[in-house]
Amino acid sequence: MIDFEEELKKFHPSLEVEDAEEAIYNEDLTDMADILIKMVAKAKPEEE
Amino acid sequence: MVCYNCGCRLSEHDFCTGCGADVGLYKKIIYMSNRYYNDGLDKASVRDLSGAIVSLRQSLKFNKNNIEARNLLGLVYFEMGETVSALSEWVISKNLRPKKNIADDYIDMIQTNQSRLDAINQTIKKYNQALLYCYQDSQDLAVIQLKKVLSYNPKYVKAHQLLALLYINIEEWEKAKKELIKCSQIDTNNTTTLRYLKEVEHMLMPEEAAKSTPKKKLFSDDVVRYQSGNETIIQPVNVNEKKGISTLLNVGLGLIIGLAIAWFLVLPAQIQNAKADINDELRVVSEQSDAKTATIDELQQKVQSLTDENTDIKEELESYQGTDGALKATDGLMMAVSTYLANSEDTEAIAVYMEVLEAEEGEDVTKTASFGTLEETFLTLISPQLATYYYDLGYASYRSDDYEAAIPNLERAYRYDSANGDALFYLGNSYRRTGNNDKAKEIYAQVIDDFPGTEKARNSETYLAEINNEN
Repeated sequence: MIDFEEELKKFHPSLEVEDAEEAIYNEDLTDMADILIKMVAKAKPEEE
Repeated sequence: MVCYNCGCRLSEHDFCTGCGADVGLYKKIIYMSNRYYNDGLDKASVRDLSGAIVSLRQSLKFNKNNIEARNLLGLVYFEMGETVSALSEWVISKNLRPKKNIADDYIDMIQTNQSRLDAINQTIKKYNQALLYCYQDSQDLAVIQLKKVLSYNPKYVKAHQLLALLYINIEEWEKAKKELIKCSQIDTNNTTTLRYLKEVEHMLMPEEAAKSTPKKKLFSDDVVRYQSGNETIIQPVNVNEKKGISTLLNVGLGLIIGLAIAWFLVLPAQIQNAKADINDELRVVSEQSDAKTATIDELQQKVQSLTDENTDIKEELESYQGTDGALKATDGLMMAVSTYLANSEDTEAIAVYMEVLEAEEGEDVTKTASFGTLEETFLTLISPQLATYYYDLGYASYRSDDYEAAIPNLERAYRYDSANGDALFYLGNSYRRTGNNDKAKEIYAQVIDDFPGTEKARNSETYLAEINNEN
């Protein structure tokens, strides 16, 4: 049986057009490649 | 694929031929990103948009520079009604690759049409307002808002799901199912949609089972119910209708009831209508009869008045005529006057007409005043002329011893001129010569009285004495 209140919590307000700019700026674009590069960069001075 | 360190194009080796950097793991990361992108593309092609989003986001987590994945993600968001999310992905994509990027076209498609952009924004605002209504427990308002949202943007999956949730809450299972079916048409494998749909179908399952099978399945001992569209049909079972005699009985009963209804309800009304029609016709005929009677009375009165008028006119006419003589008297006088006016010297003709007048005057004739006036005036005018005429005639007859002819002329001569003693004397002599002694004596006496001391008088005395001596 579906609990209305619980299900309702899963619904969040959608972004409006005015909020798009802020959302784009706040987007974390770090990916695995970036992490790998950081790890490699961090490991290199240790080797040296 | 290029080296993350120097930007040199990578070969099949696990190291960069340019800088010698270890790119084995880097390559694997890129391969994974591409793998997830392919997976996302497959899912998007079969409309598993939720699954595509998961795969594509995974792809971007491995490699944010996977422009194809990012653009596809934006497309998927746009298809699900999440326009702002789609725009975000496309803007980021454009920033990562400014040139030769299809994200430019996607962004232009939305932003160039300002009215469309405003409509999209309004849709999102209404959805957020509906969500707020749900939090405030104003579910009716939320339903209304969501319906508006879906009318603007029919592909807005979250709005469909929220509306379905509201319908589920108020146990409108069929309506919820409709919304969820629309969701699944947009996004086939959406978990939320499938979960809600399962719940709804579970609630509808007994009716659905009955609807799906060709034979009716018993839900309870005495009734079966199934859904037909928006209607719930409940039909009793195990009802055996008795045919044959019961049918005849029912038909007979129906006939009796029908006849009774006709006899007690329909027939009196028809009789009443017929009576009313007859009464109307009778009234019309009576009115016509009354009108004709009135016309007859009027005509009778008219006839009576005309008869009376006719009688009066006849009496008046008779008063004008008297007898036949009054008319002739008038004619005689008129002719005499007319002759005089035409030729006053034609004494003979005038005398003829005056004799007509004279003849009728001898009878009892009623004269009008105007006739009397005319006669008197005319006589005043014509008397001397007539006196002379008649004296000449009478004297000529007297001299030729035609005493019978002389008498009337001499009488007229004296009548028209009472001063003509000779006419009177000769009249007397004419009477005496014709043996009418009584009349002669009367005339002689009149001569003696009217013309005393004259020779006529002395002669009259003499002749009178002779007559008396003879008697």
